[in-house]
Amino acid sequence: MKFVAIVGSNANQSVNRQLLQFMQRHFDEDQLDLVEVKPFPMFNENHPATDPEPAVKLAEQIQAADGVIIACPEYNHSVPSGLKSVIEWESYRLHPFKNKPVMIVGASKFAQGSSRAQLHLRQILDSPGVFAQVFPGNEFLLGQAKQAFTAEGDLKDQGTIDFLTLCYNGFKDFVAMHQAAQEAQA
Amino acid sequence: MKLVAIVGTNADFSYNRLLLQYMQKHFQAMADIKILEIDQLPAFSIDEPLDMKVWSFKKAIQQADGVIFSTPEYDHSIPAALKSAIEWVSYKQNVLYHKPAMIVGTSYGPQASARAQEHLRQILASPDCDAYTLSGNEVLIGNAAKVFVDGNVTDAKVRAELESYFNNFVDFIETTAPKEDDSMPKQPYLDDAYIKFPTGSLSFREVQQILSTIPFEIDLIDHTDHFTWYSNKPNREHVRYPNEIGEGVDECHPPKALPIVMKIINSFKDGSRDSVSRPLMMHGHRVLIQYYALRDVDGSYLGTIEFTGSVEHILNFYDQGAWGASDGTSGASQADATSGASDASADDAADATSGASAHDDAATDAPAENADTTDAPDATSGASEH
Repeated sequence: MKFVAIVGSNANQSVNRQLLQFMQRHFDEDQLDLVEVKPFPMFNENHPATDPEPAVKLAEQIQAADGVIIACPEYNHSVPSGLKSVIEWESYRLHPFKNKPVMIVGASKFAQGSSRAQLHLRQILDSPGVFAQVFPGNEFLLGQAKQAFTAEGDLKDQGTIDFLTLCYNGFKDFVAMHQAAQEAQA
Repeated sequence: MKLVAIVGTNADFSYNRLLLQYMQKHFQAMADIKILEIDQLPAFSIDEPLDMKVWSFKKAIQQADGVIFSTPEYDHSIPAALKSAIEWVSYKQNVLYHKPAMIVGTSYGPQASARAQEHLRQILASPDCDAYTLSGNEVLIGNAAKVFVDGNVTDAKVRAELESYFNNFVDFIETTAPKEDDSMPKQPYLDDAYIKFPTGSLSFREVQQILSTIPFEIDLIDHTDHFTWYSNKPNREHVRYPNEIGEGVDECHPPKALPIVMKIINSFKDGSRDSVSRPLMMHGHRVLIQYYALRDVDGSYLGTIEFTGSVEHILNFYDQGAWGASDGTSGASQADATSGASDASADDAADATSGASAHDDAATDAPAENADTTDAPDATSGASEH
């Protein structure tokens, strides 16, 4: 399968980027294309008058993909503005998330592993302007993320890898189920 | 009461902006509301340095008694632009800490921005912000296009509700917000103790009053680069506030001034300089700012002390020929004698004041500070009279 994997942080150093890079290597039977939020301008309904180039490109990528994986950090108990801005661009004139399966993962330096931001993100993706099909349950919350990776960027803990694999395979089933339902409808 | 009201969108047209403009006008007898826009702020990033716009935005919130957020709803949450502004103001130095906050919102549809407001409450309650958000009092003005006509609220029920909630916010600020005197005493703590100097003794009360009376104001940056004290002089050139105490030097100075300030402080730390003088215009009069390295008796760095004061009265004396130097007829030696007064002590290397100015390489000094010992005897006698 082919997935777009959005790095939800615009920081130079990000454990969420590390997590997606690990998934990209670990699940190499599939294609995970990492997308950064940093090149996106702040969403503004008046400026620019047309969708910026990174937003158009991402919309095309999402449309061509089987699903989207979002790695979400937590700022002030919510979704970082950089990621929220991308979703606003993709739900204003473009609507690539419509009926697209989305999996949420997240990592943080502390124990919670971005749990509250992930809940907000679910609600945001569920709103009528976005209308994504968010993969339920399967909360992958990587806490203490600074200590979670080896120097090579692999997850150290086998239990964590097993759970991530379980969530990931579940998401692939969810995508397949969703695609089958859409074909039956068509 | 001084409030700031944040327009929660960067859009050109917004009913949330109209709502705040209405509140600003309608409640002007109760509060001075300053409207802050977020459209010029850069997108938040932990890798970007604080810029002037963000710094001014943070300062405005810091100095306000309370903050009103007017938020639209984008995808069931607050707009990214507003989230970005909140990330800036709570990152590193959090100016929302224990700041009374009120949430309002309006929209075209009947929902107003209910779900975004709920997210905003959670965001403001996070430890990163830790604001005191007024609970209940939900200002959810639906059908905005009908409600707002020519800058007024046409619906009497909406108006009455807004008035009642705003009253509650004012009460909330007065009763629950930390009072200034909770953190900083209005008067310094005094007892019968006094300090015994080798040159005499002063009571603590005298020390306080001397610091408030000397004809310039004083600010102190301690050896860890934090703003720790300022003199309580009336009519200061630089107005300071108690809640700025403890700020890092990078937070209390505007970003554009920071490189110069750090250069001065670092030169004091490494001992390459002991003072810097800056003549400049402030509030329409001539002011001299002098920075001095504050050093312990063993010479170790204790901090940077900044003296700021108007020099108009001194320059007026000079213009009136008080030292006989301004009419151009008196000889050079007499003019030198004027500066000689400070030179006399400049010869004495132990004197920090003039010794410091002699080391100053800022090239902005008044000429009188230039070392010239031509008429030293005259100057010495002048000095000894004091």
